[in-house]
Amino acid sequence: MANPLLHVEDLRTWFRSPRGIVKAVDGVSFTVESGRTRALVGESGCGKSITALSVPQLVPEPAGYIAGGRILWDSEDLLERTWSAMRPLRGREIAMIFQEPMTSLNPVATIGRQLEEASTVHGGAWRAARARALELLERVGLRDPSATLRQYPHELSGGMRQRVMIAMALANRPRLLIADEPTTALDVTVQAQILALIAELQRETGMAVLLITHDLGIVAEVADDVSVMYAGQIVEEAPTAALFAEPRHPYTQALFASLPSRSRRGGDLATLEGMVPDPAAWPAGCRFAERCARRLPECADAPPWRSLAADRRVRCVLPGVDGGTA
Amino acid sequence: MNALSDPTGNGGALVEARGLSKRFPLRTGVLGRREWRTAVDDVSFAIAPGRTVALVGESGSGKSTVGLMVLGLLEPTAGDVRFEGEPVAGRRGADAKALRRRMQVVFQDPFASLNARMTVAESVTEGMRIHGLNGDEAGRRAAAQALLEQVGLPAHALDRYPHEFSGGQRQRIAIARALSVEPRFLLLDEPTSALDVSVQSQVLNLLRRLQRERGLAFLFVTHNLAVVEYLADTVCVMEAGRIVERGDVAELFDAPSTETTRRLLDAIPSLDPSARRLRA
Repeated sequence: MANPLLHVEDLRTWFRSPRGIVKAVDGVSFTVESGRTRALVGESGCGKSITALSVPQLVPEPAGYIAGGRILWDSEDLLERTWSAMRPLRGREIAMIFQEPMTSLNPVATIGRQLEEASTVHGGAWRAARARALELLERVGLRDPSATLRQYPHELSGGMRQRVMIAMALANRPRLLIADEPTTALDVTVQAQILALIAELQRETGMAVLLITHDLGIVAEVADDVSVMYAGQIVEEAPTAALFAEPRHPYTQALFASLPSRSRRGGDLATLEGMVPDPAAWPAGCRFAERCARRLPECADAPPWRSLAADRRVRCVLPGVDGGTA
Repeated sequence: MNALSDPTGNGGALVEARGLSKRFPLRTGVLGRREWRTAVDDVSFAIAPGRTVALVGESGSGKSTVGLMVLGLLEPTAGDVRFEGEPVAGRRGADAKALRRRMQVVFQDPFASLNARMTVAESVTEGMRIHGLNGDEAGRRAAAQALLEQVGLPAHALDRYPHEFSGGQRQRIAIARALSVEPRFLLLDEPTSALDVSVQSQVLNLLRRLQRERGLAFLFVTHNLAVVEYLADTVCVMEAGRIVERGDVAELFDAPSTETTRRLLDAIPSLDPSARRLRA
């Protein structure tokens, strides 16, 4: 198999804090291939967003820093590049969209100006930029693109703003789109449209997508591969269909069991007792052990990866077989 | 139903909204002519004790505005809300205070809805003090401790501040505070939307248990249809201020009769990757 477009290897992104070093991302590995979508799924504080920010090296400094690992981009380790040597990649080959498009857009510049800037900042001609902006807005499905060009962000709805962000991200035909909770602030109907749009653009351009989400429904709809994160680490990795047919890590199983649905009416939903351990003092052994119903004495040691298939692995000494979604 | 078994003549409803409408003035045009935006248009429903009615719809459909009118926090342009058969509007003094005690609310964001400068004990006992419940301070503190236990928080939480708790714990504090004055009705406005799924399940289990034990009536305002399917008895689908469809949750979700409901249902991501619709 050819090398994947992006190969993150044993990434450690840490933060200095008054309470000591917070190991927000602590040994994360995954790949993203062209034309495919990898979902990083997990709950608040698991490190999924910091993982995403680490790829284009946008972790807030000086508190945050990448303490170790490799970020292989076309087999070149991006961590060897200086911050300024990263600039040609950011926004051109690697584009990002975030949850709240209002905070990502400049409130005092028209949509047209911001889109033109996106296509000229890497050296495009201003003259072509206006036409390109119009073309991009058309492409992301805005109804009246020439009117939108003259509008300011506050004049648009949340869904329209996210379409503008996607247009801006696509301005330079990136090879990787990192989407961090791109639809969390939107209505379900608008969410469906935005996810369908990203998938369609991916089919057209063959870009790779790294999708950060807490929503298993979104993963089921759009991801090819999934990495489940817990407490700064990946605990399970699988093709989407396999994961949903049979989640194997106790944490993944608990996530599925906690989802409300009609078939669970009248009964209690599964819950996780206790809390995620303190990121400034991760336990030495399995980080989920304290909340795990299947805990064994050997869980006091760091659990090894167990391979379940060529493309499936789980960080658990006793991967379960129950707990499917059906 | 005869008059004896239904003295209020409202089919045993605890809370009833009848023909609620709300118009907001947008601006005054030339010649002083006013333009209006109709946020809620002729909305009616009834909630019996121990039952849950869900209001669903997209942002801007008017569902939260209905909630505020039900609580009497916003005056309807037309129509009225009745609690135990008596109108909610126009109450004064002790009468208004008695009603406040019986109708409580839990909002989406437990970071915004708790006073950051009050300890948990102060937040939870404030309502009791206002309504003169549970005797003296010691009695109220004991009652607050019992409530915290009911919502699954340790007793030492009493003397802590909101920032010391996670989102799910804060939402449980907000629920304990709502319950502190022994309400019969809870407005739940997106109570789990800000929470992680494993925490959401704790809060949903808690709400369901409290409803069972206390016979609480819930008005559940949300856009999350999976939660509606799990928790609600009746669902009202809103669009542009109006209820466009209503019915038993299972029946309505199985056979939606309006485009609005179908669109909402179609947009829910399925948990079956082989049945994906958003991506071929």
